Amino acid sequence: MTEALRVRGIRKTYPKVVAVAGLDLEVRRGEVFGLLGPNGAGKTTTLEMIEGLTEPDAGEIRLLGLDWRRHGRAIRSRIGVQLQSTSLFNKITPREALTLYGSYYPKRRSAEDLLDLVQLRDKADAYHITLSGGQMQRLALALALVNDPELVFLDEPTTGLDPQARRGLWDVVRRIKAEGRTVILTTHYMDEAEALCDRLAIMDHGLLLTEGTPMGLIQALAIPSVVELTFDGVPPDPGPFRALLGLPVTVRGDFWEIPTPDPKALLPDLLEAAETAAVPYKQIHVRRATLEDVFLHLTGRSLRD
Amino acid sequence: MLLLRQFVMEWKLFSRDRAAMFWTFAFPMLLLMGFGTIFRSGSAPAFTLVVSGDVRATRTGRDLLAALEPTPVKLLELSAQAAGERWHKGETAAQLEPAGDGFAVKVNTYLAAQGQMAAQIAQQANLAVQLRHGGTEPTWIPVTMESPGHAHASNYAAFLLPGLLAVNLMSMGLFSVGMVNVSYREKGKFRRLAVTPLPKWVFLLGQILHRLTVTFLQSALMLLLGFLAFGIGNQGSYWMLAGVMALGTGCFMAMGFALAGFAQTSEGYAAISNALFFPMMLLSGVYFTLDSAPRWMQQAVIVLPLSPYLKALRAVFNDGAGLAGHGAGLAIVAAWTAVCFAVALKRFKWA
Repeated sequence: MTEALRVRGIRKTYPKVVAVAGLDLEVRRGEVFGLLGPNGAGKTTTLEMIEGLTEPDAGEIRLLGLDWRRHGRAIRSRIGVQLQSTSLFNKITPREALTLYGSYYPKRRSAEDLLDLVQLRDKADAYHITLSGGQMQRLALALALVNDPELVFLDEPTTGLDPQARRGLWDVVRRIKAEGRTVILTTHYMDEAEALCDRLAIMDHGLLLTEGTPMGLIQALAIPSVVELTFDGVPPDPGPFRALLGLPVTVRGDFWEIPTPDPKALLPDLLEAAETAAVPYKQIHVRRATLEDVFLHLTGRSLRD
Repeated sequence: MLLLRQFVMEWKLFSRDRAAMFWTFAFPMLLLMGFGTIFRSGSAPAFTLVVSGDVRATRTGRDLLAALEPTPVKLLELSAQAAGERWHKGETAAQLEPAGDGFAVKVNTYLAAQGQMAAQIAQQANLAVQLRHGGTEPTWIPVTMESPGHAHASNYAAFLLPGLLAVNLMSMGLFSVGMVNVSYREKGKFRRLAVTPLPKWVFLLGQILHRLTVTFLQSALMLLLGFLAFGIGNQGSYWMLAGVMALGTGCFMAMGFALAGFAQTSEGYAAISNALFFPMMLLSGVYFTLDSAPRWMQQAVIVLPLSPYLKALRAVFNDGAGLAGHGAGLAIVAAWTAVCFAVALKRFKWA
């Protein structure tokens, strides 16, 4: 059995909004799978239905080959969950929390082992309320691993963390994968999805837009590179330049963006056009397309909008 | 101008808090309307004086009852035996009985406020009768304080202690236990448990056991303080006392958990629990009698758990009596406990 998760046509409608509008997913064992999308795309609702916290209005969910309706207890024993915000009691210590939650499961990992894994040994006996945001997130991650789960769910594991804390958490996720576990995570950071995920699915408005490997999705774009011209302050009207270049130019914040399949061939023409139109650009740089561009291409919007 | 804007903003925020609006304006009015309607009944007397045995056998007795007729005291004439039974059930606030040549009045310690009032009126009527007959030095009716179990204590505080323990227990169950659960659920503190295989009943029973031991410790401290500071002691068996208290704790804790299952928010819970707490406390007949309430209400409130529970507690603690006469009452408390726990288990949600 190589399938860790199979979802068929799940839907969830709340009184005022359709959160998930019919979704299919398949996650193989041992892979890190990412659910990517802007806030409000339906990622968390999807995850909660899979985790058994929310009942879907329709559709079928099988985890590790088991069905929630018949094998709830068995599923709960074999999965680990990090909620988007893990609200623990203020005056519980990490060691106590790990021991307590471990006691709920037939199979468990030692608190010491987990404290080492998430590097919380020096805070093992501090009250939860005194931990930093990053330390709380790492504790939440350790709690998700307390039963030595085969399948681990991480809902926005790095939201609100500083860059260093994020890197630290990524390392832990990589270690979890190296231990042979399947990881399903949601994020709205493209760099995170690119860095961690073997495969990912992009969601918006409760629907799956596309899925594949990060590289595959980027390469599927016909325009794998982007040239950016940055300005001091507000960029000028790109009209004349666009006419000279004969390519689409989009204004984004304080720069212009020109997608291209072949930057090497484009650059001489672009520089000439800029010269002719007297474009007062400050810098020019070429980057390869990212998942952000994939999302932009699919929805016409930026992920952060 | 700044002050005005601040003032208006305070009003706006206040008026948008629906729970605050309800408690500030609607609830007191509902309470007034409710109790006003129940206890209206025209010029009906507020105090019942039980007249035990053959007071009417003597002329002074007949004169005294005649003198009491126009006062706000309602006379209830019973045979000595019937009066004794009523007294024992704790429903009588004050009782007039023949004693030697004259009379005596017994006031129920637990219903002292109403009882004393009736006793005073009887006293005045007695003086009026003597004044009419003239000549002699006026005599007073001796008034004694006594519990339904015929216990006299030198210390009135002794009679307050079980009542205090009971109200404490009820408020702990209805307010703190339930409220803590609703607010924890609201803050998502239970969601993390929902994804574990921990069974709900283990979680609920664990909490109840914790609260049970907390209450025991708390009650033990109060009993100890009562003993050390006022010399108040338990007159009955400590095992019975512990048993009755454990049952009461279980009952009110389970009630708190059950109510918590019906409230979405802590504001909502405050509304539900208050709406239950005050009627239970005021209508259970343990702090004042419901003599002037309509008959149907007097019969309906019998099923409330506070009254039988407190009666059993007082019987053991103050009267040193057994629980022989309290079987039916304690069965009511046990039934409430079972129903509330079942409802709590059924309604309990992690999130």
